[in-house]
Amino acid sequence: MKDNPYQPWLATVEEIRDEVGGQRPIKTFKLKFQDKEMQNNFSYIPGQCAMVSLFGEGECFFAISSSPTKKGFIEVSVMKLGKVTTALHELEPGDTVGVRGPYGNNFDVNGWKGKNLIFIGGGIGQAPLRSLISYIVDKRKDYGKLDIIYGARTSKDISYKKEFAELEKRKDVNVHLSIDVKEDGWKKFVGFVPDNLLKVKPSPKNSIAITCGPPIMIKFVIQNLEKLGFTEDQIFTTLEMRMKCGIGKCGRCNIGNLYVCKDGPVFSYKQLKNIYGER
Amino acid sequence: MDSLLLSKGDLSKFITELIKKNKVFAPVESNGTIIFEQISKPSEMNLEFCKSEYPPKAIIFNQTETLFKFTPGTKAKIESVNLDEKKVIFGIRPCDAKSIAILDHAFKGDYKDPYFIKRRENTVLVGLSCTKPEINCFCTSFDDTPASSKYLDILLTDIGDNYYVEVTNDKGKQLTKGMSQLFKPAKEGDSKKKKEIEKKAVDMISRHQKTNGIAEKLDKIFEHPFWKEIAFKCVGCGTCTYLCPTCHCFDIQDESTLTKGARIRVWDTCMNPEYTLHASGYNPRPARTNRVRNRIYHKYNYYPKNFDVIACVGCGRCIDLCPVNIDIIDVVTRAGEVKP
Amino acid sequence: MVDNNQLKDAVKKTISRDDVKYVVGYEKGTYGFQTTPCFAYKPEDAEKFIFSPLCVHNLSVFPMLEEKPPLRKGEEPDTRKIGVVVKGCDSRAIVQIIQEKGLDRDKVIIIGIPCTGVVDPKKIKAKFPGHIKNVEVKDEDDKFEITVDGKTQKIPKDELMPDKCKTCEYPTPVLYDILIGKEIKSNKKENFKKVNDFEKKTLKDKWEYWEKQFDKCIRCYACRNACPLCYCKECMVDQLNPQWVRRSVDLSENTAWNLLRAFHLAGRCIGCGQCERACPMNIPLMELNKKIEKEIREMFEYEAGVNAEEKPLLAMFKPDDPEEFIL
Repeated sequence: MKDNPYQPWLATVEEIRDEVGGQRPIKTFKLKFQDKEMQNNFSYIPGQCAMVSLFGEGECFFAISSSPTKKGFIEVSVMKLGKVTTALHELEPGDTVGVRGPYGNNFDVNGWKGKNLIFIGGGIGQAPLRSLISYIVDKRKDYGKLDIIYGARTSKDISYKKEFAELEKRKDVNVHLSIDVKEDGWKKFVGFVPDNLLKVKPSPKNSIAITCGPPIMIKFVIQNLEKLGFTEDQIFTTLEMRMKCGIGKCGRCNIGNLYVCKDGPVFSYKQLKNIYGER
Repeated sequence: MDSLLLSKGDLSKFITELIKKNKVFAPVESNGTIIFEQISKPSEMNLEFCKSEYPPKAIIFNQTETLFKFTPGTKAKIESVNLDEKKVIFGIRPCDAKSIAILDHAFKGDYKDPYFIKRRENTVLVGLSCTKPEINCFCTSFDDTPASSKYLDILLTDIGDNYYVEVTNDKGKQLTKGMSQLFKPAKEGDSKKKKEIEKKAVDMISRHQKTNGIAEKLDKIFEHPFWKEIAFKCVGCGTCTYLCPTCHCFDIQDESTLTKGARIRVWDTCMNPEYTLHASGYNPRPARTNRVRNRIYHKYNYYPKNFDVIACVGCGRCIDLCPVNIDIIDVVTRAGEVKP
Repeated sequence: MVDNNQLKDAVKKTISRDDVKYVVGYEKGTYGFQTTPCFAYKPEDAEKFIFSPLCVHNLSVFPMLEEKPPLRKGEEPDTRKIGVVVKGCDSRAIVQIIQEKGLDRDKVIIIGIPCTGVVDPKKIKAKFPGHIKNVEVKDEDDKFEITVDGKTQKIPKDELMPDKCKTCEYPTPVLYDILIGKEIKSNKKENFKKVNDFEKKTLKDKWEYWEKQFDKCIRCYACRNACPLCYCKECMVDQLNPQWVRRSVDLSENTAWNLLRAFHLAGRCIGCGQCERACPMNIPLMELNKKIEKEIREMFEYEAGVNAEEKPLLAMFKPDDPEEFIL
């Protein structure tokens, strides 16, 4: 049924890239819809997510980590953690998966034109931010200063190494990488991301800060942003929850009366402060 | 709205006519409990009951629903399922009918759930007024009565030798087309009798829940230690959620053999700790206090905030069956009284 | 009759100790014949506690429901004890859990109540339907004295007791720290009458009976959640890798679930009947558990939950066991 929101569209895996190895490997999957019309009409804005299913295993809700300015495919980054993600990691190019979406709300790319943007990411949290960063780099003139602060446990755990290397070369983007623990050959910042943020000291004037990562990192980053003078409606984050339907019906992912799959995953700090509920 | 009379002797003729063109679900006595099951003749029905054990939402929002079938593995194909079947639920109580109207909000909205909506369109609700409410019934706390026809397509009320029949909308009219010989027009005396019976039933309801301004009050007491007191006795059995006519949480699973599979949707309960467990091991609702509080807030605060209606109909099934006597009338009334 | 004042004093004494977190017992419920678990955190709370033949629940499920939230830096875990009020049958659950090392003996303080039979909630609701307020039930030898809205009746216990009380072999708790009243010896014997009668049926009749019952099952897992001995951190039905029991609700999966649970309780079920009371669809689960209990008694001469020093039956191997290997 074309109008059945539970039924996914078939997509082929075009390419799989290894981002991070080790105990919790991350791979990026490039997916192309099998139906040409669907591929052309699938439009989304950075921040939105898709439900990717492996028939026989299940479905997971992933942030689309490629920018809509790059047409013809979508990319999702998957960390191997549970049943479905482990099965996804076993796939080869040419395999079929199901995709449905786009779901959720998006970053306010129009409202933020002309502002300075500061991205603070950690670990796999870089995935939704990457979509927005890629979009902004493609439309660079529309936005102000661009600072990217990203940290991982060790240098091997840094996602999107290739993209970061290219971004570092650009003069109109400031990249500040960090790792948690000292390592031979690492000349940049050593420490946690919230501390790196204080060192970079971005100005709150005409700025928007977007953060995504482990819950504990988000907590301290928001604390430090407030110390630097950012107000509640200048801070945005993306949240995650266990999800099954992705369309606000199964009742699982709610925080207060908002569903993370439908009314999120992008929330401003002002919104979060006003709704209570477990997060 | 049409008001008609159906004599008690003609009830079985009415049901037989319905069975000819529809799948009729009626209250049936099965192993000591009353449940709604499909009947093939009117004698299988048992109308001596207050409420069924299992809510009739199961006929429209199936407990196990196949979303679609597929061939599993990496080269997959999808086939859809068929949903067109005309159904009639006979003998549904006004509170359960209201619950289906409440569920409409959850399943419509931005994304329309085709399974629920199609089944709902193809099902006609023929209700039976409640004349003997039980001790834990409290539908009157929500401005409704045991004989309200508001959410039903047709409502029958037992007024002695006859049933007083109210046909409220076109769906009901469509159903009774071609059966006009069974019905007589009702007179003013009959309508008065129905109102008397309704009042008698309303007076029998002895327990009441104070719901005025409850959504706003709940906003203020989220972190109150009162919730720990209430929720500590909960053993997390989940009975309340499976028998609640307005609970709609579900799980989606893929079940497959080597050659074929299906994605199914099954009822789930927010009382399980695994309900919100992240793959990383983090659980935003780790303790029973969080889960019980979430359930009460979902019914009395979140649902009203999103859809302007309290998601409780006052059927009292959760109170009857909770093994540790967590009583929602008591909890919400105390929540209204506790100081923030 | 149990002296309620003695019970309240015992609870007060227990909760006043520094090393006790809370005491769980019974208090009056919100309607009809209900009683409900209640918790005492300070000595004043002990006034709520009661004990009457209406106190049916098995409270030994609470020590295992303790959640351990993640600790902040520098915070010590709360290792205080928990006090539980138990009847004879309930105490066997605690003893069985101690045998299995699910709980340390010194983590619970058992306030034992010698019980002469309780009232089955379904039977008494059927006897007194309607909007009941103000009830009181007293114990009088072989009768229950029931007062409803001022009117008193004496009804023979056999009419209102659940089946487990009719064949109760352990009216006094088998393990306790404080006893309210004097020990009672049982004059009843477990005879497995229902199981024996059922065994006489033909195979066809047996399957038909259970198929009808399992058809009713809605897989709410209330039986598992209410059972004091079902305390696995991850139940087999929640596992997805591999998925032992599918989530769809049909006769085949329902049969699998009910039989698997009965087998997982083999040698461990103490017959409190909490599962049957919690089941919303009135499935006679105790019949399954009783059958397995009978087999265990005949094959191994073993009863669950009687001796805390013993090792659990299906988890131990002795060199003089008749079989050669542990399987």
